[in-house]
Amino acid sequence: MEDLSRSFGETRALNSATLRVRPSEIHSLVGENGSGKSTLIKILSGVLRPDSGTLVWEGEARQLGSPRSAQGMGIATVFQETLIVPEMTVRDNIYLGTDGLFRYRHRKGDEIAGARQVLSDLGMDGLDLDRPMWTLSLAERQLTTVARAIIRPWQLLVLDEATSALDAQQRDRLFDYLRLARSQGRSVLFTSHRMDEVLGLADWITVLRQGATVATMGASEASRGGILGHMSGREAHADPAVVAETGPRRGSAGQQRPQRPVLRVAELTLRAASKPISVEVRAGEILGLAGLEGQGQVGFVECLCGLRRPVAGQVLALGDNGETHIVRSYRGANRLGIRYVPRDRRYEGLFGPLSVFDNFAITLWGDLSRLGLLRRQQARKRFAGFAESSRLVSASPSRAISVLSGGNQQKVLLGRWIAMRPRVLVVNDPLRGVDHNTKEELYGLFRRLAADGVAIIFLSTEIAELLTLTDQIAVFHEGSLVAMLPTEMSSDTDVVAAMFGADKHDGSADD
Amino acid sequence: MTDPSPSAPADGLPEPGPAARQPTRGTSEIVTRFVAANFTDALPYILVPVLFILSVIFIPGYFSKLSIISLLILASLLGLASLGQTITIIAGGIDLSIPAVIGLSDIVVTQLYYKHWSLPVIFLVIAGLAILIGTISAVSSVLLHVHSLITSFGMSLVVSGVALEWSNGAVNGAVPGWLTSSVSAIGHTGPIPIPAIIFVWAVASVLAVAFLRLTRVGRETYALGANPVAARLAIVRSTWTLVVAFCISALCAAMVGVFFAGYSGIPDPTVGEPYFFLTITAVLIGGTSLLGGRGGYQRTVMGALIVAELTTLLVGVGFSASFQELALGILVIALTSTYGRELKVAAKI
Repeated sequence: MEDLSRSFGETRALNSATLRVRPSEIHSLVGENGSGKSTLIKILSGVLRPDSGTLVWEGEARQLGSPRSAQGMGIATVFQETLIVPEMTVRDNIYLGTDGLFRYRHRKGDEIAGARQVLSDLGMDGLDLDRPMWTLSLAERQLTTVARAIIRPWQLLVLDEATSALDAQQRDRLFDYLRLARSQGRSVLFTSHRMDEVLGLADWITVLRQGATVATMGASEASRGGILGHMSGREAHADPAVVAETGPRRGSAGQQRPQRPVLRVAELTLRAASKPISVEVRAGEILGLAGLEGQGQVGFVECLCGLRRPVAGQVLALGDNGETHIVRSYRGANRLGIRYVPRDRRYEGLFGPLSVFDNFAITLWGDLSRLGLLRRQQARKRFAGFAESSRLVSASPSRAISVLSGGNQQKVLLGRWIAMRPRVLVVNDPLRGVDHNTKEELYGLFRRLAADGVAIIFLSTEIAELLTLTDQIAVFHEGSLVAMLPTEMSSDTDVVAAMFGADKHDGSADD
Repeated sequence: MTDPSPSAPADGLPEPGPAARQPTRGTSEIVTRFVAANFTDALPYILVPVLFILSVIFIPGYFSKLSIISLLILASLLGLASLGQTITIIAGGIDLSIPAVIGLSDIVVTQLYYKHWSLPVIFLVIAGLAILIGTISAVSSVLLHVHSLITSFGMSLVVSGVALEWSNGAVNGAVPGWLTSSVSAIGHTGPIPIPAIIFVWAVASVLAVAFLRLTRVGRETYALGANPVAARLAIVRSTWTLVVAFCISALCAAMVGVFFAGYSGIPDPTVGEPYFFLTITAVLIGGTSLLGGRGGYQRTVMGALIVAELTTLLVGVGFSASFQELALGILVIALTSTYGRELKVAAKI
């Protein structure tokens, strides 16, 4: 293997990213959520095809038509999701996909010996090969998927977050194996959200941001701060669009504080091993939630609106006269004025066959019906008011919601809850897949709500968005709230650092 | 669609597909598709008079008051039985216990009237049983997280078991004379020479359409059927909605069972059996989707009329019962496939 480089244009996920992996090298690919790591890896493994760009493998340009052709070239991939067949045995899972349609390519004895060998390479000598996969722990499953990749001859092993479930010992064993492979002239490309792994294992590090390669550096010259800087785009050639967006911070609404608290989170524990979380949210405040994928921020949101029971602790809604109510269920949370706008528009929010108006009004009927009969006029009035204030573009409220653009659908879903006059509005990544103009309009909508005294809890995967809109940003790592950053005094580098578990606890949340 | 805002066309979703295809698809083609979509929407309303005219042409002496009333009685029985089915299907479920409930109700009314129970008490007993059956189907579906297809089918087995046991050996039954007259083609409603069941169906139709359109539970029925996950998050009362739907369905089936008892006057627990498929046929032909959340009872009214007309037409022309089923089957497939197309077009524009 000589040289590997590729670039892509026009796709949003990846924008002319370039990556070069040499023989006998462990290369780490790092970047924030949505920076294009997974897309790049999928292209490398033949799952996706690039719109443009070239892949050079061992000196010649190649096309990867399918995962099988990537395997044939010697590229073995372990994907982020633990892809296993739970009902099949460990051995069958390791050899999954190697058999032909009508005949076995391997003799049973060879299979057992081969599986023993790779499992012992990974430190799982004692594992019974005939155990069904579902009886294994998550870490064992993850290692089995690694075993499946390395049982075939490979020159380049690609690991996408393959260590997330492993404990320190298992991880060290895997890293030993990777170093051994490197000494045999083979190469490894891995992604990780753990900075210590990146710095400890990699020879080279490539940083992706917004689908583009922003830096490639040798591990010896890399530092934690340098990598984080590249990832957030602060120190390197900063993207002017990002700067412009983060420039104007929250306006007038921010100055009207302090207000009375409306929601109190008391010693809330999300996972058995994580630290309890205590936060207070005030009327008119916009609290941002940030974290890498799966760090507990979604679970936190679900606890707030009663969809999930925390391991310990309580969520309390505070009334106007200081009375407190414990949030015990989703319905209970709604009665207390806590309204939740879910993340997945299509599966959790929209009623596809129903009209725009019906989608808007469905939650209103509880208040706007007398003896079970609807008071449509009142609902229409609220719809008109909402359409006006959100600049909703729709030919007619009686048309199917499915004909609206994603941004307008999102407006309707937000309107559904805003029309219920929430005390606390919990929004889960509401601006995902929404175009720039609509985004600006929705920022305005959220600010006006906050100015009207609604407390907003805003989960987002985009740091720039949090910096634009929120008063404070709560950052989650491994199920704990690790930092509470006042937005005015924070940069995206601070947020990214906290997302990767850097200790920078501010402590202001506790008083 | 006129879009004053610049934001609408520039949707942020990474979907270059539709935008790229747009120029190749001419405006005229969109218009034709749009007309086609509305045409399939109107199709059941067109088929009703067309089939009637065909019957008049092909069946000698068909255009008479008696045959029209006979047709309407047939449609009323099917329409009433399909009323609840329409609601359960819109709610994303399906009620397979309708034939069994018809049979049970037929047995109860003939047996108890034979034993000289008073009619109001008999009707209360039947209504109570129907509500019990509907509630069990719905609640068990929610609690056990299984589709109502399964719970109502289980309920159906239980109910027909009870009906068979109850009627075991009994061949004697009695019904009041007015009940017989209410489903007879020469029956009167007060001074009007039209049997009562037709009025009952008309009133029930208006109520059902109003229920689905103007009540909170009615709107929640659509929401639940369209997207149960979103319905829960939109604080739709899922369990209550499903219970209401299945109770209405069981009550309608019980009503049809009472009319059937008037029809024959003797206890017969299997009298509802053809309604296993016929109710679903009427709902589908009308254009209510089995996917839930789409359709309405006004459509099922048309569906019931079409089924009754087609059956009468085929019998009148001399086709066998098996051929009638074949024709209904083809109609269901033909119509529902055009409905399916219409939805896709609507999603594209």
